[in-house]
Amino acid sequence: MSADFTISKGLNLPMLGAPGTEIRKVSSKGTISVFPSEFQKVKFKSLVEEGAKVARGTKLARRKDLEGFFVCSPVSGTVKAVNLGERRSLKEIVIESDGSDAAENFHSFTVDGILRAKAENVMSVLLESGLLGLIRQRPFNRIANPADKPKSIFVNGMATAPFRPDAHILAQGKADAVQIALNALTLFTDGPVHLNLDAAAKDSKDCLTEAAHVQVNYFNGPHPSGNTSTHIHNLDPILPGDTVWTLRVSDLVRIGELLLTGLIPNEQRIVLSGEGFKESHRGYVDVPTGIALADVLEGALAEGESRIIRGDTLAGEAVNVADTGIFYYDQGFVALPEDRERYLMGWYAPALDQYSAHKVAPSHWLKNKLFHFGTNLRGGHRAMVMTGIYDAYVTLDIMVDPLIRACIANETEDAIAMGILESDPEDFALCTFVCPSKTDFGKIISETLDLIEQEGF
Amino acid sequence: MKDFKKIIEEKHDSIRSLFEEGGKFEKWYPLFEAQDTFALTPPDTTKGMTHVRDGVDLKRVMFTVVVALIPCLLWGMFNAGYQYYDASGIEANLFTMMIRGSWIVMPIILTSYIFGGIWEVAFAVIRKHEINEGFLVTGLLFPLTLPPSIALWQVAVGISFGVVVGKEVFGGTGFNILNPALTARAYLFFAHAKDMTGEVWTLAKDGATGATPLGLGASFGGEGLDVKAALADRGFTFGRMFSGLEPGSIGETAVIPILIGAAILIVTGVGSWRIMAGACAGLGATAILMNLMPIEGQEAGEIVQFTTWTQIPFLYHFVMGSFLFGTVFMATDPVSAASTNIGKWIYGALIGVVTVLVRVTNPGFPEGVMLAILFMNVMAPMIDYYVVQAHIKNRNAKLRKFSYAKG
Repeated sequence: MSADFTISKGLNLPMLGAPGTEIRKVSSKGTISVFPSEFQKVKFKSLVEEGAKVARGTKLARRKDLEGFFVCSPVSGTVKAVNLGERRSLKEIVIESDGSDAAENFHSFTVDGILRAKAENVMSVLLESGLLGLIRQRPFNRIANPADKPKSIFVNGMATAPFRPDAHILAQGKADAVQIALNALTLFTDGPVHLNLDAAAKDSKDCLTEAAHVQVNYFNGPHPSGNTSTHIHNLDPILPGDTVWTLRVSDLVRIGELLLTGLIPNEQRIVLSGEGFKESHRGYVDVPTGIALADVLEGALAEGESRIIRGDTLAGEAVNVADTGIFYYDQGFVALPEDRERYLMGWYAPALDQYSAHKVAPSHWLKNKLFHFGTNLRGGHRAMVMTGIYDAYVTLDIMVDPLIRACIANETEDAIAMGILESDPEDFALCTFVCPSKTDFGKIISETLDLIEQEGF
Repeated sequence: MKDFKKIIEEKHDSIRSLFEEGGKFEKWYPLFEAQDTFALTPPDTTKGMTHVRDGVDLKRVMFTVVVALIPCLLWGMFNAGYQYYDASGIEANLFTMMIRGSWIVMPIILTSYIFGGIWEVAFAVIRKHEINEGFLVTGLLFPLTLPPSIALWQVAVGISFGVVVGKEVFGGTGFNILNPALTARAYLFFAHAKDMTGEVWTLAKDGATGATPLGLGASFGGEGLDVKAALADRGFTFGRMFSGLEPGSIGETAVIPILIGAAILIVTGVGSWRIMAGACAGLGATAILMNLMPIEGQEAGEIVQFTTWTQIPFLYHFVMGSFLFGTVFMATDPVSAASTNIGKWIYGALIGVVTVLVRVTNPGFPEGVMLAILFMNVMAPMIDYYVVQAHIKNRNAKLRKFSYAKG
């Protein structure tokens, strides 16, 4: 079974710096870090101390609020440091790798065998290994709760935002891992498992387009047709009381490798993109999980100051390269030139080299041109004046102006009625992008979602 | 160009510390900020999860409105000069008319900008926020709605009322309920009705008077009279009212400059075409309905005549008075208009309806469009409320249907 959707709303940013398709490899320099802090809003307690010997798969930390959820070591070696972050939360555990194959195995399955396995058995592997952290749950987009039964599961295999990795390249050579993970997901829900792909890939044949036991859907259209919220809204909207689980193809590969081998996966494929990287380095990289980010980016950055963004340009987090490494959840980094340039009479100058989605800007009329993008705010913060322009960038059945007003006024009940629970802050990223008053919609939506989650609804 | 930019940047940086916290002129930072960002875009970079931004900011949006007003401004200057010489009977060429006209109009605009600007800066300094670009529009829009014969002190009082009561008491740009320029005009309209109504305007020359077509309407009364002929009798043919060579407020008389402005606003997407189209539809439909009303009827066995104002051909309504000007430049103010796209249609249409109702059923207030827009400004949040409620209902119905379909 499969469904096709064409999304007409939205906008593709004509951005230079797209990644190439070749896959490079970066190898470990011996030190690996595990970051329990990557699972936001969840607290961990360390189970090891400095100097402890660990094997691949040894439990390093346990989640405080959920019995049986651990974070495990991807390599064997010695614990070099346990670093705490803000408010003494567990930030990272540094391990000096000894290069041995010592491992603590989890239960492993076969691609077809898993279909006959018990859901609890598969879930316990995901919980104990910590890879359940890769599965998210909506509403509120938090780590999936094994106690909840989702009405359906959505796997995102699209890359409309600049620049998410191409799912087909991530899955290249991982056919078994993808299929076993999809099979495992079917155990967790009575509803369908949806694998959502770009319509452009419909005629190609790989492990994603030919995936079995799941419903493969194709979406056509500009960003945000590739956002998970768009898929959920069109396939199985979230009603009050509903829960759905979401994940991405990169997560699928990781979970699949664990289930196939019983070993914590220690290598992952990420994408480097954006004009802040040298052209030769824009592309896919196989990196050891937990390697320092600085090691991955060595020699990759172009000249000039760049902002390194974890995730994509529209919905990502700026990171300090020296301070972080490759998370389990990572699937790519964007390097964007920092642009503090002041432009002469910006309100009047034609500014043909600055992209705009608004017809009032001359550059809007240059079709089929790719632009340089930087981090410049391109104006100053003002009160919101323009109305009615945002609806064209949100694919959900939501009126953006009234919703954002309700959010600013903390009217959570109104916001829920208007459909905020269907959304994720990333769905409003294009509104943030186009707003002439430079309002941060993502921040407003995410604060309101937090408030609703706290208050309960 | 690059050197020029560098010089400005250095100059600004050299005095910036004076205006920043702890500086000598710390209080006046909004003034410095306004000048600084007028010359150069701010050096700020993005924060939060979205790391890139569109090239357009509010300055460019507001500036586009000012550009769209320029044809009306130029025409208003010319017409003021034309009316001056027409009324005084002196021969003059186009050039002298333009000079005379700008001599009449420019002081009004300057007064509006100066006094409005003082209030704007005062509130920005007290509230410690940026000076808003919207003021550039208000300060030009307001004088264009005034008769050229207005006294400068009235302009100053009017714009002060508009900026303070129309905007700042609500919290400033983006929070106001009424359009500030129209609030200012309404204030003058009611407080200084003698100088504002269309009945008799001295045309910038002592002793010379002229009436606007809408003003005339008020004096016709209710006798069974052919309004079209009566207007033509006094020189107000459709062609003249279309061309704009008639007494009236500075910016509103001519159709073509307003349509040029409308085209600029619509093509650039700055003004809402929905509101403009809605207002035209509302006005046209209501005027046609009025045309269909009988002009006489029976009451207690006697034949009575109804007001003949209903018989104004509907096309006349478009070119008389400030309907087009108000619709294109005032009703489309996004802050005081309805914010939802469906709401904009309703909001626009009701402006058209109310304009005709005021004009026809109560010609004592000659300018229906001003009252119509202010009235609908107040009603806009309610329109939005019902549009949103309808959307929520519709949304829930769709979601329910979805879950039923799936069983």
